[in-house]
Amino acid sequence: MKEVDNILRILKETRKFIQEENTNELKILSDQTIHTATISQDPDNIIVAVLVYSLGKVMERSHYRDMEGWDQFYSTAIKNLDHAIINLEKNDVDSARNHLGNIRNCLNKLSGNLKEYIKDVFRKAEINKAFRLYEHGLSSKQTAELLGVSLWDLSTYIGQSSINNSNISISLPVSKRIKIAEDVFR
Amino acid sequence: MKYLIFDAGPIISLTMNGLLNVIERLKEKFDGEFVITPGVKHEVIDRPMKINKYKLEALQVKQLLDKGIFRHCYEIVSAQKLDIETKRILKIANSSLRSLNSGEKINLIHEGEASCLAFANLCSCDSVIVIDERTTRLIGEAPKNLEKMMEKKLHTSLQANPESLKFFRKFRFIRSSELLFVAFKKGLIPLKKDKQTLEALLYGVKYKGTSISEQEIEEMKKMV
Repeated sequence: MKEVDNILRILKETRKFIQEENTNELKILSDQTIHTATISQDPDNIIVAVLVYSLGKVMERSHYRDMEGWDQFYSTAIKNLDHAIINLEKNDVDSARNHLGNIRNCLNKLSGNLKEYIKDVFRKAEINKAFRLYEHGLSSKQTAELLGVSLWDLSTYIGQSSINNSNISISLPVSKRIKIAEDVFR
Repeated sequence: MKYLIFDAGPIISLTMNGLLNVIERLKEKFDGEFVITPGVKHEVIDRPMKINKYKLEALQVKQLLDKGIFRHCYEIVSAQKLDIETKRILKIANSSLRSLNSGEKINLIHEGEASCLAFANLCSCDSVIVIDERTTRLIGEAPKNLEKMMEKKLHTSLQANPESLKFFRKFRFIRSSELLFVAFKKGLIPLKKDKQTLEALLYGVKYKGTSISEQEIEEMKKMV
């Protein structure tokens, strides 16, 4: 795990913002993690970015709180965040990693629709974070691999990226690239 | 011998737009081979074959390989040679930029893209790489832009390694948009040959992963 202090800060703030139901701050926290993850490409940073973003999305959907299994999910998330924070403070990275994993794994124990809804939130969060890494300059395959998502899923998202419209993304004049294509087919 | 080396992105964007048959028609007009590397085959056939959502697409691409429209690069260079060269290129590419704060090197490209560059380097022939994603092209054609873009996004200063970047200047790249432009001009698109069709083709691939700007699409429309 790289940047342990930063991850510890992110987790502490995540815990606080969940209790305050501050979904906007959760998203900002997740974005901060992505900056670090682009450079370090550390899987733990990426897992935290996905987790924080997903928790923000789940908290945003207030109707989930009336669904069967909500209390179990919420208490598991809080309990495991607390444990992960305590473990990281002791530099016990492996245990912290297990507790973060427990938050997602607990979904398999839930019954009813909530399980599928939250799983879907996590899956979409992975693609969202992959897209963010791509926007930060990594190649599409590099991001797909880091997040474990398919390049096929990612391609539609990449197409929507506004960064492709910026001049900085244009590396060769259109006429020159067309000439390369026409020459090779001559 | 001429080679058109396909990265996974163009095959995905053309397949998702129902335009794989254009590759077949282009092959008939091409005096050379269309090549894919094992990393690309994994992304466009082996992996989606295990995902129900994309299995049909994978089968369609596999058919092109079975028919010999695409040739596996191992028929041309040995697996061992390609592997060694891919690793060498990965090392050069992924030491091109480093964070000034932490000193960490940034891994910019993946084995799939590196294997396309490796094949182009090994075959020592007239080759062009068909690649939709921006990062690999930026490394070769405008590394300063990549550095600027990443610095802006990451809010941190980066240091480029000019020696590493020099290596990538020799590669030539086109995207699926240029392939479709050529197909359009050669009358290989089974639609009315007008600007509307060209625009539809270019936006089709743009929204399925091709890194092309609206400004570039407008310029291409003016060229017909």
